[in-house]
Amino acid sequence: MYLTRRIIASINCPCQINEFTDGELAISHLTSIGERTELLPDVIFLDLSMPVMDGWEFLKEYSELKPKLKKDIALFIVSSSISPQEVERSKGYRAVTDFLIKPVEKRKIIEIMDNVKL
Amino acid sequence: MIPFLHKLISGKYRPLKRKDSRAGAEEPDHKLLMEQLDRQKAFYENILNKLPTDIAVFDPDHRYLFVNPGAISNEEYRKFIIGKDDYEYAAYRNRPASVADMRRAKFLEAKNSGKEIRWEDTLPDPKGNMITHLRRIYPVYDEHGELSMVIGFGIDITERKKMEEKQAELVKQLSAQNRQLTDFCSIVSHNLRAPLVNMSMLTDFIESAQEPEEQKLLITKLRPVIDNLHATFNELVESIQIRQDLEIQREDVCLGDCLQRTIDGLQTEINKLGAKIETDFTQVEVINYPPQYLNSIVHNLVSNSLKYHHPGRPPLISIKTRKEGEKVILSVQDNGLGIDLVKHRENFFKIGKVFHRHPNAKGFGLYMTKTQVEAMGGRIWVESVPDEGSVFYIEFDNRIKQAS
Repeated sequence: MYLTRRIIASINCPCQINEFTDGELAISHLTSIGERTELLPDVIFLDLSMPVMDGWEFLKEYSELKPKLKKDIALFIVSSSISPQEVERSKGYRAVTDFLIKPVEKRKIIEIMDNVKL
Repeated sequence: MIPFLHKLISGKYRPLKRKDSRAGAEEPDHKLLMEQLDRQKAFYENILNKLPTDIAVFDPDHRYLFVNPGAISNEEYRKFIIGKDDYEYAAYRNRPASVADMRRAKFLEAKNSGKEIRWEDTLPDPKGNMITHLRRIYPVYDEHGELSMVIGFGIDITERKKMEEKQAELVKQLSAQNRQLTDFCSIVSHNLRAPLVNMSMLTDFIESAQEPEEQKLLITKLRPVIDNLHATFNELVESIQIRQDLEIQREDVCLGDCLQRTIDGLQTEINKLGAKIETDFTQVEVINYPPQYLNSIVHNLVSNSLKYHHPGRPPLISIKTRKEGEKVILSVQDNGLGIDLVKHRENFFKIGKVFHRHPNAKGFGLYMTKTQVEAMGGRIWVESVPDEGSVFYIEFDNRIKQAS
């Protein structure tokens, strides 16, 4: 988490980063934003291995929440897992934009951020 | 002795006899015919007696008309049973009537349905070995459509049965191993890879850092990653050893001693939290189990209860044993944080699952405990209410020693 944040910060993108240590905290943050669309993120980087509510459980709840969020949010799974089953499983979620395997290169983050600006 | 066969053969030859008597040359031909008949009878009897299956023929009332030596090897018993039913035979041999009940049911099923009935039964042979037979009985009707007899025969399938059981056991073992392999792959591809990736990223940062202060900060971040890798690696090695130790030795382990060892190991933690531990091993105090597994199971459960204690009250842990038929159930109850089982029941004992925001939770402990319990044929389950506490239950199989 520290490292992913550091990489995102290192590209000097003028953006705000909110970190949550588990899915439950992230879901309650997204829920609390409610109608204030301007507070919603442009991009979510999601780790799969987290305590309390892991990435998969987050995806399940997030998929239910998503229709209520009035914003097109890109979601990238960022995992150190190289298991093909997990990549396959992630394709079952329409909310997932892509599956990134750690370590994520700086180039990839820049690319993602550029796309967001468009 | 095969009276039914005699009857059938003599029936078949009767027209011939009548024709001959009309010709008035009965005496010499009759003698010849009888000789012929005896030879035929001996021939068929020989075939039936030499067939390596067991054969029995019943009249429509389930009385024996014939049995071959494959069915009853003792000649005296074989003679006795003719004209009797299974109940009389069971009484004669001082055997329980349950086998006769079962056979009567099958007989009636064949008789009433008019169809062949198949089943498998396992009974002790005269030497006490359990023998499994595949049995088939079917009704035979005469030219008027009347039931004339019911033929039954059985093939000894003990060897095949044993093989099937062995195969089923093997399939069970293989699927368990396959599941373990999946777990193993998940550990390697995630739990081991994650700290490696972190170390390599940190190293990149250290290399490109401009300020010595920043480098120092980054280096302090390396230590916990290395510790994590180390711990994961050790746990991985330990869990592999469990799988290889399928022949691990059981011993009589005194639960009191086992728990004392855990308490000694966790004494600092117990004192710090003011934890109280109650025990009740009156029902069962000794379990026949690999000592290192039992130590590890007890240690894991108690240390979990301490680790996930409720911040508002000192931990109270209650450890009990209970006898349930042939089995022993060990329960470890606490008044800790509890777990939301509605959300987590499916994943409860899975590897890498962590249910609380605790810095040292890695999701290994319960997975290891489950592996150690199941490796010895036991079961583990949990009951829990969030904010009230949890009870872990472990059921050990029946190889136990009574409390003296």
